[in-house]
Amino acid sequence: MTGQAIYMDSSLAGGTTLSLGRQLVANGCVTENQLDRALRKQQNDHPTAGNNEHLVGRTLVDLGYISQSALLDCLFSQFSREREAYRADTGETPIIHLKQVVKILDGRRVLDAIDIAIPAKRVTAIIGMSGGGKSVILKHMVGLMRPTQGEVRVGEHLLGALSPRQLAQVRRRFSFLFQGGALFDSLNVYDNVAFPLREKTDWSESVIHDRVMRCLEEVNLFGMERKFPDELSGGMMKRAALARALVTDPEILLLDEPTAGLDPIIENAIHYLICDTYMRTRYTMVIISHAVPEIFRWCHHVIALHKGKVLFSGPSTEIGQSRNPVIRQFISGDIDGPIQVI
Amino acid sequence: MFSQTIDFIQKIGATFLENIQEMGRMFLFLWDVALSFVTPPFRWTNLLKQIHFIGIRSLFVIALTAIFAGMVLALQGYYTLSRFGSEALLGPAVALSIIRELGPVLSGLMVTGRAGSALTAELGIMRIREQIDALDVMGIPPLKYLITPRVEAGLIIMPLLTVIFDVIGILGGYLVAVRLLGMSSGTYFGGIESAVEMRDIVTGLIKSVSFGLIVTWVCTYKGYYTRRGAEGVSQSTTSAVVMSSVLILVCDYFITSIML
Repeated sequence: MTGQAIYMDSSLAGGTTLSLGRQLVANGCVTENQLDRALRKQQNDHPTAGNNEHLVGRTLVDLGYISQSALLDCLFSQFSREREAYRADTGETPIIHLKQVVKILDGRRVLDAIDIAIPAKRVTAIIGMSGGGKSVILKHMVGLMRPTQGEVRVGEHLLGALSPRQLAQVRRRFSFLFQGGALFDSLNVYDNVAFPLREKTDWSESVIHDRVMRCLEEVNLFGMERKFPDELSGGMMKRAALARALVTDPEILLLDEPTAGLDPIIENAIHYLICDTYMRTRYTMVIISHAVPEIFRWCHHVIALHKGKVLFSGPSTEIGQSRNPVIRQFISGDIDGPIQVI
Repeated sequence: MFSQTIDFIQKIGATFLENIQEMGRMFLFLWDVALSFVTPPFRWTNLLKQIHFIGIRSLFVIALTAIFAGMVLALQGYYTLSRFGSEALLGPAVALSIIRELGPVLSGLMVTGRAGSALTAELGIMRIREQIDALDVMGIPPLKYLITPRVEAGLIIMPLLTVIFDVIGILGGYLVAVRLLGMSSGTYFGGIESAVEMRDIVTGLIKSVSFGLIVTWVCTYKGYYTRRGAEGVSQSTTSAVVMSSVLILVCDYFITSIML
C-alpha cells in the first residue's frame, strides 16, 4: 500500500467526505510530511492491517505529531461540520423503515403505530423516557421482535416475510451493542471478540487474530485480551462489546445505551469512540441514549419517543427549536411539565 | 357469591389453558432440537464440553450414591430375605433392583440435581443478560449452538453413567453382603449371573436414555425461556429440577409397565 491509498476520497450519500488522513491535513492538525511518515510506519508495523485509517491516527499520536485529544477533537470538528450540514428531507430511501408499527407487550401498547425512517450512513439517536419502547424499536429493526401490527423493512427486505435463513442473511448486515454488553462470561475478551468470526467465517486463526487485535486497539483495549468479562469495569465492558460489534465490519450498528451507568469522563470517551468509529467506517448507526442534550452533538438525526409515539424526527440541529412541551421538558430535565414523575 | 364462583372457574380455566400452551411450547422446542440434530454445522467441541460437564463431572456424585444405595439395599434385603430363609437370593435382588430401577432413576435424579440445575441457571443467565439475543443477532441459531449439544450429551452420557452406577451399586451390595454379613461371594455373584438377563439390562438402558432426554429437555427449555431477571432464574431452576424429577418417576412407571 502506498501513502496515496489513504488519501482516496470516499463518497457518501449527500456529499463527499475526505479520508481521515486527508481530513487531518486539511484541518491543519498535521502536515503532509508527517502523514506520509506515519503511513510508512504503519505499513512497516502493521503490514496486514491494510487501509486502516484509524491506525494512521494512532501512529500520528505514537510519533508525537498530534496528541490523542487533538486527534479526537479534529475528528469531532469534522463530524460537527457534517452534522450541521445534514438535512433530513433529502428524499433518500431510508435503510431501515418501521411503518405503522404497533407492539403490545403484556397487554400494554408499547409502540403505537409509529413510523420511523433511519437514514443510511448517518448517526441517529433515539431518545425518550425509560420504558418508552426504545430498546423494543431496536429489537424490531434486527428481527429479535416482531410487530403486533405494521411492518419493518431493512433495505428492500420486509423482515416479517423472511424465512429464518433469509433473516440470518439480513442480520449479517447488523451488529448490536447490547445495554449490558452481552459478552459471554465463559470467554475472555479476545475470544469474545473473535467469536463471531470463528463461527461465521472460514478465516484462518492468524487472520482472525490480526482482525481482533486491530479492533481491540481501536477501542483502546490492547493488552486486556486475556481478561474475562467479570474482571472488566463498566466502560471496558462496553468497549469490548463495541469491539465485538465492529469486528464483523457491519453495515448497520445498533447501540443500546452505550453510555448508561458510566461516569461522565468514560461517557465522553465512549462518545468520542463512536464518533471516531463513524468517521472511519461510515456505518449507519442507531444509538439509544439518555445522555440528553449531549447526544445531540454526536448524531445527525434524532427521534424522540413518548408513550409509544414519535414526537420528533429530524436533524439534531433542529430539536432544540421544538416547541413540543414534552421534548422541551426532556431536554431541560425539569421536574415540572407534562411528564410527572414525582 | 355468583361472581366469585365465576372468577374461580375462570382462574382454573386460565391455568389449564396456560399449562396446555406451555406443554405445546415444550414439544415444539423438542421438535426444533430434534431437527437441529441433523442440521449442519456439527460442533463437536461443544458436544465434548457438554459430555464433560454433564457426565464426567457427575461421576463422583454418581459413584457415591451408587455405593451407598447398593449397601443399604443389601442390608435391608438381607434382613427381609433371612426371615424367609432366602438369603441366597440377595445378589439377584440387589442386582435386579439396581439394574432395572435404582440405577437409571437415581442416576437421573442425581444428574438433574447436579447438572440439570446448572444448565437451567446458565441458560437463564444468558437469557437475561441478552447473550442469547446476541447470538441471534450474529446469525448463530441459539437453539443449535446452545441446546443441541446439551441434549445430545444427555442422551449419550446417561446410559454410561447408569452402567457405572449399576456396577458400583452391585459392588456396594457385595461389600455389605460378603464383607459385613459373611455371605459367600460365590453365592452373591453366582445368583446375579443366573438371574440377570439381557432384557433387564436393556430395560435399564432404555430408561436411562429417556431420563437423559427428560433432564436435558426440561432443564434447557426452562433456562432458555427464563424471564424477569435474577428471580426468574431462581424460579426456572427450581421449576426445572422439580419437573424433571417428577417426570423421571412418572416415565419410570410407564416404561416399567410396558417392559415388564
